[in-house]
Amino acid sequence: MENRSLIQRLIARPEFGPFVLLIIEIAVFWSINHDFLSPQNISNTLAFTVELGLIALAMTLLMTSGEFDLSVGSLFGFSPVLMWTLFNSGLTSLEVGFLAALLVAALIGLVNGWFVTQLKIPSFLVTLGMLLVVRGTALFVTDGFPQRTWSAEGSWLAEVLVGDFYVGPFRIYMSLFWFIAAAIALGYVLTQSRTGNWIQAAGGNPNAARARGVNVNGVKIGLFILSSLMASLAGVISSLRTSAANPNSGTGYELEVIAMVVIGGTALTGGRGTIIGTVLGILILRVMRNGIVLIGVPGLAYNIFIGAIILGMMALHSWLERRHQAGT
Amino acid sequence: MAEPLVRMTNIKKSYGRVQALEDANFHVNEREIVGLLGDNGAGKSTLIKVLSGAVPLTSGDIFIRGKKVNLRRTSDAIAHGIETIYQDSALVTQLSIARNLFLGREPIKPPRFLNRMDQEAMNVVARDLLKQVGISKNIPPTTPIGSLSGGERQAVAIARAMHFDSDLIILDEPTNNLGVAETQGVLSFVRNARDSGHSCIFIAHNIHHVFQVVDRIVVMRRGKVVADDIDPKKTSVAEVERIITGMSDKEIRDAIIEGRPSHG
Repeated sequence: MENRSLIQRLIARPEFGPFVLLIIEIAVFWSINHDFLSPQNISNTLAFTVELGLIALAMTLLMTSGEFDLSVGSLFGFSPVLMWTLFNSGLTSLEVGFLAALLVAALIGLVNGWFVTQLKIPSFLVTLGMLLVVRGTALFVTDGFPQRTWSAEGSWLAEVLVGDFYVGPFRIYMSLFWFIAAAIALGYVLTQSRTGNWIQAAGGNPNAARARGVNVNGVKIGLFILSSLMASLAGVISSLRTSAANPNSGTGYELEVIAMVVIGGTALTGGRGTIIGTVLGILILRVMRNGIVLIGVPGLAYNIFIGAIILGMMALHSWLERRHQAGT
Repeated sequence: MAEPLVRMTNIKKSYGRVQALEDANFHVNEREIVGLLGDNGAGKSTLIKVLSGAVPLTSGDIFIRGKKVNLRRTSDAIAHGIETIYQDSALVTQLSIARNLFLGREPIKPPRFLNRMDQEAMNVVARDLLKQVGISKNIPPTTPIGSLSGGERQAVAIARAMHFDSDLIILDEPTNNLGVAETQGVLSFVRNARDSGHSCIFIAHNIHHVFQVVDRIVVMRRGKVVADDIDPKKTSVAEVERIITGMSDKEIRDAIIEGRPSHG
């Protein structure tokens, strides 16, 4: 009896659906092509997964508070461009250029948050505008050309962010540890801390939260800044790893990241969010992208599967939600 | 008579050219349940919004225990011990009972820099409060508000007001959309709140619900308080209905003393 209720409780969790989907996905891809679980493939998949994942973690908190950020993809492209431009022009060292990129990102997050909370403009419009401003700036500054990046060799910043080493046959990048640390920290914030309670209340019923003295605007502005910072960090990590700084990189990432978050079970309307679900959502989409190519489905068909997964998971979440509301 | 808990004098509130409140005078004594009645547009909602800090008044004064106060925000009113409970808006449906009770005042476990909520302590207090307010069912404090019934939500909101020592709990249409048993539950929560030392303002369309629970009835009409000392034990429902609708001025004058508060 006790056992059964434990299983039932497990099934009722919003993370359960994504978890099952991920297992099925891995099993199907592996059964078709055993190389899918080869150390090399796992290493390759993980390297890029955590970069998008860093953005998705921050987006989870932001979406729980009832907002979202479409400018993350453009920041992913812009921040490394800014860092390399400062470095290549001899103005700053790479490290100072990195800090400058983070600072600018924080400022962009602040502006996003200010427009949303003070001018009461929906985050969709504010961050769409910001997407164009930031992407446009990246293209304008670089004339649309990639920046030189070959001089990162031996920089301690590169070592700390994307230094790689082998664990057995697996090639691991330092960025994996940054991702794990961020997931644990933000998961803690969301579920254990007082701030997490405020984030959920801000998304669930902002007026009730305000009436209880919760600084709803402060919470949201803070999360917009966090979202921009994480997008910037992810962009720099990706740039250092691939030795490329293309002003166009990150195009379309905002939607992929939001898809990861909602597939994991975070509500698009705010009030409910799960970091564990997001981690599963990140893996589901990245495994799908990798697996499709590996089993020989044309890469161009990728979006069909992603779209189907989003629709399927939304249907599942809404069904679970209704069951939950009905108290069964 | 001692100074009342809350006294509002000559309250005016206009929205543009519309005069929602015209020299309204109103008071609530300590440990008293006041029923606030009036037809739609009589001004009772506006009066409550002024008192709960949701809208600023145009002119007039508000005193709490004789001290003049300025209520510019909802949080000002809460800081002065005035808690307003609207049917649904006071709680976050996605959060648990315990997390709602302590929203904005979550206890923190040491070490403080970890900012970690003391969820065990919150659950213990929540369980105790639910019992105190009179919820008979055994509802775990980790239950999300979304899966509670309307009456249970009212109970949680009342429990929160009691726990944080609100002197005055304003209930706006607490019995709307509730079944008979649920309504009786809410009425008994209100009585429990008064018995443990809190005052209440009770607003309801259903006069019978008001009669069952209040100590004194106040009636508003066209932005004014037209009767403020109706004893529900000595007055009939029909009589109060006549005052609310203002059938004839003579009848009203017989039943009340117009616009003059009897206390304060």
